[in-house]
Amino acid sequence: MTEFNPTILAFCCNWCSYAGADLAGVSRLQMPPNVHVVRVMCSASVKPEYIFKSLVQGIDGVLVLGCHIGDCHYLTGNHRTAKRVPIAQKLLDDVGVDSRRVKLDWVSAAEGEKFQQVITEFVDEIKGLGPNPMRGVRL
Amino acid sequence: MNELGKKLARIAFDERGADYLLAMREEHGNVAPSMIRKGEDAGDVRVDLPYQLVNILSNIYPWVPKGRIAVVCRRCDEKALNEIIKRNLMDRDRLILIGLACTREQVALCRCSDPVPSKVDIGEANAPVREDPLMVKLDSMSQQDRLKFWTSEFRKCNKCFGCTLNCPVCFCDDCVLEEHTFTPELGIPPSFAFHLVRSMHMSDKCIECGECERSCAGGIPLLTLRKMANRDMKRMFGYEAGDKEKVSPLLTTLEGKLLEDGEHVC
Amino acid sequence: MARIGVFICHCGHNIASAVDVEAVLAYAKTLPGVVFAGHNIYSCSQEGLSSIKSSIKEHQLDRVVVAACTPRTHEPLFRKACEQAGINKYLFEFVNIREHVSWIHAKEPVAATEKAKKLVAMGVAKAALLQPQTEGEAAVTPVAVVLGGGLAGLTAASSLAGQGIETHLIEKSERLGGLLRDVSVIGPEGELAKPLLDDMISRLTRSKHGHIHLKSTVKGISGFVGNFELTFVEGCDEKKIKAGAIIVATGANEFTPVGDYGFGSVPAVVTQLELERRLAKGDVAGDVVFIQCVGCRQPGREYCSRICCNVSLKNALRLLTLSPGSAVTIIHRDIMSSGTAAERVYKEASETGVRFVRYGLERPPKVSAEGDGAVVEVFDETLDETIELDAGLVVLATPLVSPPDSEETGKLLKVPRDKHGFFLEAHVKLRPNEFATDGVFVCGSARWPVSARECIYQGLAAAAKASIPIREGKVVSEAITAYADVDKCAACGNCVLTCPYDAIEIIQVKGKLAAKVNEAVCKGCGSCVAACPNDAMQQKGFTTQQLGAMIDALVKGALEGAQ
Repeated sequence: MTEFNPTILAFCCNWCSYAGADLAGVSRLQMPPNVHVVRVMCSASVKPEYIFKSLVQGIDGVLVLGCHIGDCHYLTGNHRTAKRVPIAQKLLDDVGVDSRRVKLDWVSAAEGEKFQQVITEFVDEIKGLGPNPMRGVRL
Repeated sequence: MNELGKKLARIAFDERGADYLLAMREEHGNVAPSMIRKGEDAGDVRVDLPYQLVNILSNIYPWVPKGRIAVVCRRCDEKALNEIIKRNLMDRDRLILIGLACTREQVALCRCSDPVPSKVDIGEANAPVREDPLMVKLDSMSQQDRLKFWTSEFRKCNKCFGCTLNCPVCFCDDCVLEEHTFTPELGIPPSFAFHLVRSMHMSDKCIECGECERSCAGGIPLLTLRKMANRDMKRMFGYEAGDKEKVSPLLTTLEGKLLEDGEHVC
Repeated sequence: MARIGVFICHCGHNIASAVDVEAVLAYAKTLPGVVFAGHNIYSCSQEGLSSIKSSIKEHQLDRVVVAACTPRTHEPLFRKACEQAGINKYLFEFVNIREHVSWIHAKEPVAATEKAKKLVAMGVAKAALLQPQTEGEAAVTPVAVVLGGGLAGLTAASSLAGQGIETHLIEKSERLGGLLRDVSVIGPEGELAKPLLDDMISRLTRSKHGHIHLKSTVKGISGFVGNFELTFVEGCDEKKIKAGAIIVATGANEFTPVGDYGFGSVPAVVTQLELERRLAKGDVAGDVVFIQCVGCRQPGREYCSRICCNVSLKNALRLLTLSPGSAVTIIHRDIMSSGTAAERVYKEASETGVRFVRYGLERPPKVSAEGDGAVVEVFDETLDETIELDAGLVVLATPLVSPPDSEETGKLLKVPRDKHGFFLEAHVKLRPNEFATDGVFVCGSARWPVSARECIYQGLAAAAKASIPIREGKVVSEAITAYADVDKCAACGNCVLTCPYDAIEIIQVKGKLAAKVNEAVCKGCGSCVAACPNDAMQQKGFTTQQLGAMIDALVKGALEGAQ
């Protein structure tokens, strides 16, 4: 049996977490190669629809990373993220999809190490959960 | 004109100064929503059918530019109107609500936790139902079983859009679920995403009228799904849709402040 | 169908050491819409950029994808190259395979190469849906408005008028100078306040570009950077001014400690400003006790007002000069007198005989009336005992507090305030004199209690910042703003409520109610996009179709086997 190698999508805001990811790169911090970053301007622009679409189509995990509360480039943009993502997670739980497949966290532009840590831990967590049960589900 | 017709005409036109009365009326053995003008014979009005007049009102509202409209409202209809008015889609001053208390059978049908209108004009207040038995059952299931349950339920969806079309708080003319941006699969049944996206959109405005469930051609227990989301919303943010003033927590700051105030804590 | 060109960068060995560039290149050629794929040792070099430009022309490319480093540093460069080759710069998409691939998966070349392929596929999928954009440009009204005629506002206004910019100073009271009008000597250096203020005012009045409006209250502010309109009442007349930039210099008030330490009931208890007025008249004699931190650094008002220690030190020394031999005591919790000059004054005060008594919040001093004066009873933390001090005058050093009307000012300008009512800048370090709202600036104690010297620094800084859009003559916004699809919009207003900039309104468009985004105000956060249930709100360069296509490309690449 081949090892389960999850496919993960990460939405990173331009100002903090994408810059944090860049810093991790500049610092040569090594991490598992399962996470694919999509740059958005603010975590507040991440529609829960993207999360649902990704999971339903078989992506194993979705990360939403933004600036720390109080540091949002757009004042209180991430305040909405901090509420939208958790409710989307609950909606997933309600229909039996493990909400641990979705993670919201804050990574500042100075936190390359935190980015590495979040990625490493999330990949481990998804590996533990196993393949997305919705993969291949045809209703 | 039956007794109910007389009573409603009196309340609407004589006591509360309405120009129109929106109610269910029986004509030639058929019951249908009717817009009754002031001075017109109200006819044989019926309130015993669970029918959601808010959608009818939303449709005719733009075509009735003047005058005050009285509408027979259950508690859920009243809450739906609150959601509509909050969004400036209707003017509260133009509406007169005639409160209809649901019968015990109707309360049971909706597993309704909030069945009594702010003012009862017709009918008698009945006790709420505290629990949705299916929700209790689903909560006790394992995650895998819950996924199995909803997978088999959603398989019955034939994408008739009954749930959205009959929903009083679905405001959009063309539904995003008709497109393929988030629900890419063509054909029937639609993917899981269809139901998840709708769950998200309803999460801060569903007033649990149960119209989606009654409209569903596949018999999917959609009201239970809505009730689960509403419970989550209440637990997480203390928010219940249908409030006159409160804005959805998904649109405010973490402290619950409106962004318009210009007083962001950041 | 789009004609997409993909350019993979080796970045010397930076990318090529972990990513098999040839393999990614071969894969890119198979992607839908890709008509050309090339590679460069350094895409950002002159040679690399020339090859991209010539390929655009040779293959009639209408979309360009560069897989290299990070858009945060290099996007402008490649966008410019696209523009030079004749295609709209918004038809460019950046894929990061250095910071996000080769550098962080240095020891896993196979996995790194596979990841790079997927990221390129995602970039290509997005690029196919990119649209040319025009950047918003608006003319700037060459007028500045300064709200508040204290030292900070006067400094800003006189600087702007001195630069030849039409400047209106709006002051709500009948005099200029703010709090400093009641102060004769400025600590710690000991400059005289009046000549400083008079000089500032005369510079403003002498300039033909300076306009002073006293007894004026702002009633309304609309518009955005470059095009504000202010309505204000001057005396009894309502007036309107159009302006390109606004500086908030509304200052702070001295906190009135009603009920604390006998203030209001014991006549010998006064605030620091009252002492300043008496000192100006030479009208102080006898023993004086200062009590520091009255009404601050305590629950409810936790902040340190920063200037009070220096003010008390300065006044203690002036008192000793006026009446040598009198006893001057400063009862404090900590003396905050940082900086070379202030530290010198502190040292001088200690050596000249000013007595320092330290108290704690749990055992504050007690003041009671005695004759014309007062007795102060205080537990001295150093002596570990309670002592009594006779005083002809007890001076309460109270903090500067945000004036009650700052709430209204904040609402009018739609700028944030902290929990104490002071205004909040866009970024403490990167943009300390600007609000997040473009074209609105802040200086002086409106932001936080500051010294006279800091008022001048900040006034000059705000003036310099405010002059930028006015000198540029136009404001350009990156084409990443939001827009509404009128046909889809149901006017539910979610976007209006969720916009942090108040950039969206619901108006009649094409015979129906729909959302309309003011592009000059929109900052492109996309918060409205997420809030829109019907996908009517979109963000240029980040449409839901584009991001959806990226997800589809990842699914296709990863799950349907692109190995």
